[in-house]
Amino acid sequence: MIDFKKYNLDNGLRILIHEDCSTPLVAMNIIYDVGSRDEDPEMTGMAHLFEHLMFGGSQNIPDFDTPLQMAGADNNAFTNNDITNYYLTIPANNLQIGFWLESDRMLGLSFSEEVLEIQKKIVIEEYKQRYLNQPYGDIMLLLRPLVYKVHPYLWAAIGKDISHIEKVTMTDVKDFFFSHYAPNNAILSVAGNIKNHEDVISLAKKWFGPISRREIAVRKLAMEPVQKEERITEVEKDVPSDVLVKAWHICRRTEKDFYTMDLLTDILAGGESGRLYSSLVRDKKLFSDINAYLAGELDPGLLIINGKLMDGISFQAAEEAVKEVIEDLKKIAVPDPEIEKVKNKFESSMVFSNTNVLNKAMNLCFYELLGDANEVNQEVKLYNRVNPEMVMIAAKKYLQPDNCSSLHYKSKKSVK
Amino acid sequence: MNLKRKVQPEIRPVVLKSIPDTELFRLKNGVPLYLIEAGSEELMRAEFIFNAGQIKENFPLVASTTNAMLLEGSLNYTAKEINNAFDFYGAFIHQFAQKDSSGITVFCLNKHLEKILELCCEILFRPIFPEDELNNLQKKRLQSYLMNKQKVQNLASDKLFESVFGYSHPYGKQVLAADFKNVTTDKLVNFHTAHYTNGELSIIVSGRIHNETKAMFEHYFGEHDFKSGIPDKIDIPINGSKNKKEFIEKKDALQAAIRIGSATINKRHHDYPGLLILDTILGGYFGSRLMKNIREEKGYTYGINSSVMSLNQSGYKVIATEVGKKHTGKTLDEIYKEIRLLQTRPVELREMDVVRSYMAGEMLRMFDGPFALAESFRAVWEFGLDNKYYYNLADKIKTIQPDEIIGLAKTYYNIDDLYEIIAGSA
Repeated sequence: MIDFKKYNLDNGLRILIHEDCSTPLVAMNIIYDVGSRDEDPEMTGMAHLFEHLMFGGSQNIPDFDTPLQMAGADNNAFTNNDITNYYLTIPANNLQIGFWLESDRMLGLSFSEEVLEIQKKIVIEEYKQRYLNQPYGDIMLLLRPLVYKVHPYLWAAIGKDISHIEKVTMTDVKDFFFSHYAPNNAILSVAGNIKNHEDVISLAKKWFGPISRREIAVRKLAMEPVQKEERITEVEKDVPSDVLVKAWHICRRTEKDFYTMDLLTDILAGGESGRLYSSLVRDKKLFSDINAYLAGELDPGLLIINGKLMDGISFQAAEEAVKEVIEDLKKIAVPDPEIEKVKNKFESSMVFSNTNVLNKAMNLCFYELLGDANEVNQEVKLYNRVNPEMVMIAAKKYLQPDNCSSLHYKSKKSVK
Repeated sequence: MNLKRKVQPEIRPVVLKSIPDTELFRLKNGVPLYLIEAGSEELMRAEFIFNAGQIKENFPLVASTTNAMLLEGSLNYTAKEINNAFDFYGAFIHQFAQKDSSGITVFCLNKHLEKILELCCEILFRPIFPEDELNNLQKKRLQSYLMNKQKVQNLASDKLFESVFGYSHPYGKQVLAADFKNVTTDKLVNFHTAHYTNGELSIIVSGRIHNETKAMFEHYFGEHDFKSGIPDKIDIPINGSKNKKEFIEKKDALQAAIRIGSATINKRHHDYPGLLILDTILGGYFGSRLMKNIREEKGYTYGINSSVMSLNQSGYKVIATEVGKKHTGKTLDEIYKEIRLLQTRPVELREMDVVRSYMAGEMLRMFDGPFALAESFRAVWEFGLDNKYYYNLADKIKTIQPDEIIGLAKTYYNIDDLYEIIAGSA
């Protein structure tokens, strides 16, 4: 249970405050409601590049990081397809430093050409390090355009191509800032050693209050048409073993089915006792490892299975074995103890996550973005409502071959 | 409102107050149970540490395979039953086989603690190492080994350990693909008997501790006849390679991995806190000199860092980065330039202040919550040290002076002692 207070500023900034005095620290989290889905298809990777620029100095403060280090704080950020999330933890007595810095970069950036050029280089090295120079690092770069044909989820947050990052200009940067970064497009949470909520609200009013609302670019995303036939693509790369990746379109994050699909995913792959591991790794020895997860997007997202084939196993045998596990979910109701197992696992993940004020701050912001921060405390209930029949119905609804895309990521060395 | 945004609000000193104490409770058989009461959630972290690291193995992979096989079948349960039970009670289990020690860490809700302890006792002391599971496990591990050998960062790191500690020292020994098939059940049973059953166990527990907690541990872990204690000192001579520079070819790599390092002192040495501060200035945080120069000014890399690590018999330091292929030479020049600067020019007071404050903040994070507290306790306990080490470090962070840093840089960052390993395409 995360007990919190909500407060709205006149400029549209929403603020969530949670007190936990078991720590000397305070976590501060800001979500900007902008991700790679909001990018121009010809300038992908912009939201993520922008995240880097946010650390390159703001309107009145030339250096973002040094004052935080002086205050004993730690900070970072991430960008995904839906959101850009900035966070820091700071000793409670220096909380104002966090407000000073975060509000100034919401007000305006330094917009320095030099910073832009350097950060472009760094992001290009990041692209190489994380996606191109790692075995299997490009799986999502290959899978997304197979699964999505029109929705901007068809590119990854890092961008479609390095050339998109190279050509970004300062005009693009300013346009992006003023159409997405604004108090009325952000949610702030403050969690931790807060003796008095009123103090936090006054800090918020003082530092964020004077920032004017901005006109936010209207989000007009192309809806992905229903997939009507199975898609399979094959690539051959210099990797040690074959990998099978399968993705099915599922519901939006805010639909009730999401919780059913999340538990269904845990039945498939929640720990080593999950069905995929138990049957395909342990019993049949077809895969050396196999996992399933929800990609967690806000718009209709994906259930992804990713498995590494044992040497000498064909893609056909692997596909058939995965299919059998999936078909089972549609034919036979999941036994009660198995449902109980995945619910228990969810419950303990929640409790463990709540030991950390930064996790709590992030969760509050994220649920507020979904519609209502209160929902963070309803999760356990929503998961507990799921029963074997709902799992079976959801499996039949989403896990159809016509709704599936498969990537056969083949090792150049494999001789079959 | 007249808001002066250009003026930085006052920064107050970051102060580490007292570190919560750890209670030592000895089980009937002498096994030490360390208890750290912390946090507000009804949960527990329990770490079972055996003096059974790679340093104890006579054949490659035996320590790590013994550890990995703990969940693969026991006297009373099959592998499936074990994994199912941990998952059913919502517990998370982390197995580790490190250079000096091996064991497991479990995280669970207190309401399931008794069941989880029973399972831990079963897997730690009654594993049966089934042949079939072993063969399957080794195939999987070989696959991931081969994958890791495709990553420039692993190629460079592995080679650095071999160069620094020598190929025959347990810290430097390299695993070969052929080693996987030579691990037999017999070797595992022998290793388990020597280093688990008759080994030295210590238990570190943190979270919400209740009256019955000790009794539960006593019941499952206090009956057997174990030895106990911190890892003993084994003195195997460290003979680093004569070649200070190595290049490992990885065809078509877009980036080169650079590792520069050498053996150094560990936490038991009185210079260690100072060395940590020096290392932080050089490459230990986002505002470090290497990050500022090589990432933020030149854009050669997504990240560069340096770190100092303690092992039981030694320590090592390493500077690590992946850089665009064409920047390799220039990056090396800049790394050595930064080291030389630390040896010759006093760190300015402003930078000293930043590092002092940053490290003081890190120390708060090191003792924040039950998990961090247990990790920090373990990090000194394994060296026979206690919280005095941390108070001493906190004091050093406050008081160290620029001339002392120059001295440390000269002593511990002698460029002639450093190994330079590069993995990438020619």
